[in-house]
Amino acid sequence: MSMEASELQDLSDDADYAASQQQGSASMMRCDSGKRSSPSEHDDAELIYLKDNVAIHPTQFASERISGRLKLTKQDSVLFLSWIPYKGQTSNAKLSEKDRSLYTITAVPFTEVRSIRRHTPALGWQYVIVVLTSGLAFPPLYFYNGGVREFLAIVKQHVFLARSAEDANVFLVNDFQSPLQRTLSSLELPSSLPVASGQYPSDGGTSNDNQGRASADVGNRVSSVNQYGLRKQKSHDPTRDLSIHLLEKFSLVTKFARDTTTQLFSENNGFGSIDKRWNNQPVHSYPEKLSNIAEEKHQESPHSYLDNDPFKDEEIANNVDVPDDPLEVNKLSLVWGKPRQPPMGRKEFTAFLDSEGRVVESKALRERVFYGGIEHQLRSEVWPFLLGYYAYDSTYAEREYLRSVKQMEYATLKQQWQSISPEQAKRFTKYRERKGLIDKDVVRTDRAFEYYEGDENLNVNIMRDILLTYSFYNFDLGYCQGMSDYLSPILYVMENESESFWCFVALMERLGPNFNRDQNGMHTQLFALSKLVELLDTPLHNYFKQNDCLNYFFCFRWILIQFKREFEYEKTMQLWEVLWTHYHSEHLHLYVCVAILKRCRSKIMGEQMDFDTLLKFINELSGHIDLESTVRDAEALCICAGENGAASIPPGTPPSLPLDDIMLYPLEDDVL
Amino acid sequence: MATSGNKNINAKLVLLGDVGAGKSSLVLRFVKDQFVEFQESTIGAAFFSQTLAVNDATVKFEIWDTAGQERYHSLAPMYYRGAAAAIIVFDITNQASFERAKKWVQELQAQGNPNMVMALAGNKADLLDARKVSAEEAEIYAQENSLFFMETSAKTATNVKDIFYEIAKRLPRVQPAENPTGMVLPNGPGATAVSSSCCA
Repeated sequence: MSMEASELQDLSDDADYAASQQQGSASMMRCDSGKRSSPSEHDDAELIYLKDNVAIHPTQFASERISGRLKLTKQDSVLFLSWIPYKGQTSNAKLSEKDRSLYTITAVPFTEVRSIRRHTPALGWQYVIVVLTSGLAFPPLYFYNGGVREFLAIVKQHVFLARSAEDANVFLVNDFQSPLQRTLSSLELPSSLPVASGQYPSDGGTSNDNQGRASADVGNRVSSVNQYGLRKQKSHDPTRDLSIHLLEKFSLVTKFARDTTTQLFSENNGFGSIDKRWNNQPVHSYPEKLSNIAEEKHQESPHSYLDNDPFKDEEIANNVDVPDDPLEVNKLSLVWGKPRQPPMGRKEFTAFLDSEGRVVESKALRERVFYGGIEHQLRSEVWPFLLGYYAYDSTYAEREYLRSVKQMEYATLKQQWQSISPEQAKRFTKYRERKGLIDKDVVRTDRAFEYYEGDENLNVNIMRDILLTYSFYNFDLGYCQGMSDYLSPILYVMENESESFWCFVALMERLGPNFNRDQNGMHTQLFALSKLVELLDTPLHNYFKQNDCLNYFFCFRWILIQFKREFEYEKTMQLWEVLWTHYHSEHLHLYVCVAILKRCRSKIMGEQMDFDTLLKFINELSGHIDLESTVRDAEALCICAGENGAASIPPGTPPSLPLDDIMLYPLEDDVL
Repeated sequence: MATSGNKNINAKLVLLGDVGAGKSSLVLRFVKDQFVEFQESTIGAAFFSQTLAVNDATVKFEIWDTAGQERYHSLAPMYYRGAAAAIIVFDITNQASFERAKKWVQELQAQGNPNMVMALAGNKADLLDARKVSAEEAEIYAQENSLFFMETSAKTATNVKDIFYEIAKRLPRVQPAENPTGMVLPNGPGATAVSSSCCA
């Protein structure tokens, strides 16, 4: 996530600082109480260093940070690190007290610290990641007021700190002797995933399930860790920093955590005698974590998904050896995918506008729509922005003017075909054919949906008029099957012929190439999809390759009409407005494809589907895909793929705007 | 022709024809015995399977239903390549759809499997009042081109099962093993009708 000025402003509010003044010491007392082995608050512990406004980001969203106080203390010549969140004050109401305590770091001795990775970008927040000898890592600690260099300098005064030969930003704290630790150090974690991410707060029932599974099957994947080469990340933000091979390491790290914890569980009947090295674990999370682990032991199937998953595998793994998923979407979305918010309402939307109606921060608006969609009544006002019909910096008055001008222009365009007399039509084959095609399609587009149902439905006629007008407006592209699928929800939302037309025109500016005669727009997207699958699920890619499925034509319908036939009407609208924000990527729809394919990967490979079976299977997924979790997976995959993902998508791939204007719609002999 | 005992045959079948001729409706009637007045247009292609018992054999049809618009023509070879049978569908109330059907026949004769069983279906036979293509005209064309012709109605189910049954009867029962482009294969373990069907 880039750090825009507005976000920085948002984060520079004083609430946390004020809280730190009032609450800091109290919360430390609270968190440390009852821990016999914790030395930090003992009278003989010497305070070495104290830094306020050090925050962690439980998700990739800076707005959901938890701020707290970082401390270094020394006792019996051992240096301890602790980070205590401020109590009671919050930048985000969604974060509960429990979330805070989950991430609390209470007095970790530096003898258990493997390394500290620092990141001090010229612009943006500095942070450090503390990696333990166990392989666990704490979430990045953001120094909101700067001071990473000072922090490291102080650490260096008290423990042996050596700069890694392989990465100048990694400082090794300990020298390792054990083979396990050598293995870990050879991984050269470029950064690490949060320790507490496995205990990400529940958000509606599924994430507990997810988190159980997330670590249930990591045991098998150690061997696949090295399939990705080492790569240094230069990005300034750790959420971008996390590369694909890092996810492998995440699995590894989680495995170590689980193994160790399981061991503890088997050796201890209660929590009182837990080894002191685990004191950095959040107190409140123990029972949950342990019970999860107990359950996990019974989940031998490596590819079980959510219980309500319609494409759940059944005893497939027993028959066919399905290669492991290098990136489990459950795990990814757990870490990165963000739960959707309620749809944006009018009041909230109005807050994005200045007094004259300009959208002040279009990115913030798009972000809001991305994470929650729009209340239906408001869609007709927001969709024109998303589609590019309205400019974000236009005023109320300018938009009013635009509408009236465009209405006249539409009437002129419509008049072009309306003025064709029957006699002229007789001599105008292309027109007759085109009109015939549109007539055939509009009467069978969403007729079960109430807005278009019934005989002599006027909305069906309006849809016909718009499509015919469009085929004159863009005579080269004309009409193509699938266009009515796009227009139907637009007309339903806009409830105005001219406005619907111009929104449709704006959409076709980006998606028109889907309907090119040479199929070029589709081929480009299918190609990009194959590259993304290769990047994000190499075994699945290889499977498609071996089975002559690399053309990805089984995803043709998904891409051509952006999943219109895969979801019910309302869900389609929700998905489209998310896609149209272009918030993380213009090509999120391709990541949606990857997300769905990954959800089905073990079924596809386990049942050895060939192309025919695959196409049938994919078509029959229609109506059985859960939108919310799919979008969340897609977001996680998109973030995870990062620049490599973007590089997999050739420039100009729809819905990117065309690179140039020459021959937008290459013609062949037949112009129909 | 048929060997003794039960014989299972997989046969790839493709439906081709003009927009709105009723390809999807024919399949839906055959596979699910359903009819939808406003059957939505087919995007890309759809795949179905349905099994018919013919004499002592069982024919499992693997049916490819394609999009009708000329613009998607370039995708068609992907679907008809390797097909053992084709149903070319036109709408008896639409002369242009009949002309389009003829073009499909020509293309299959030029590009397709020479042993392909081809059927010509004059669909919407229930709409007699709106008829534009006479049964005689279509029958003559079919005979000239070694097709068999039936008028069908997906709406009333007239002749729908029959046309598939007729195709099944005409499928070659014994497939030379040395023919790698075989269109009909015995349904052995893991055998599928066509393994090369998804090559671009």
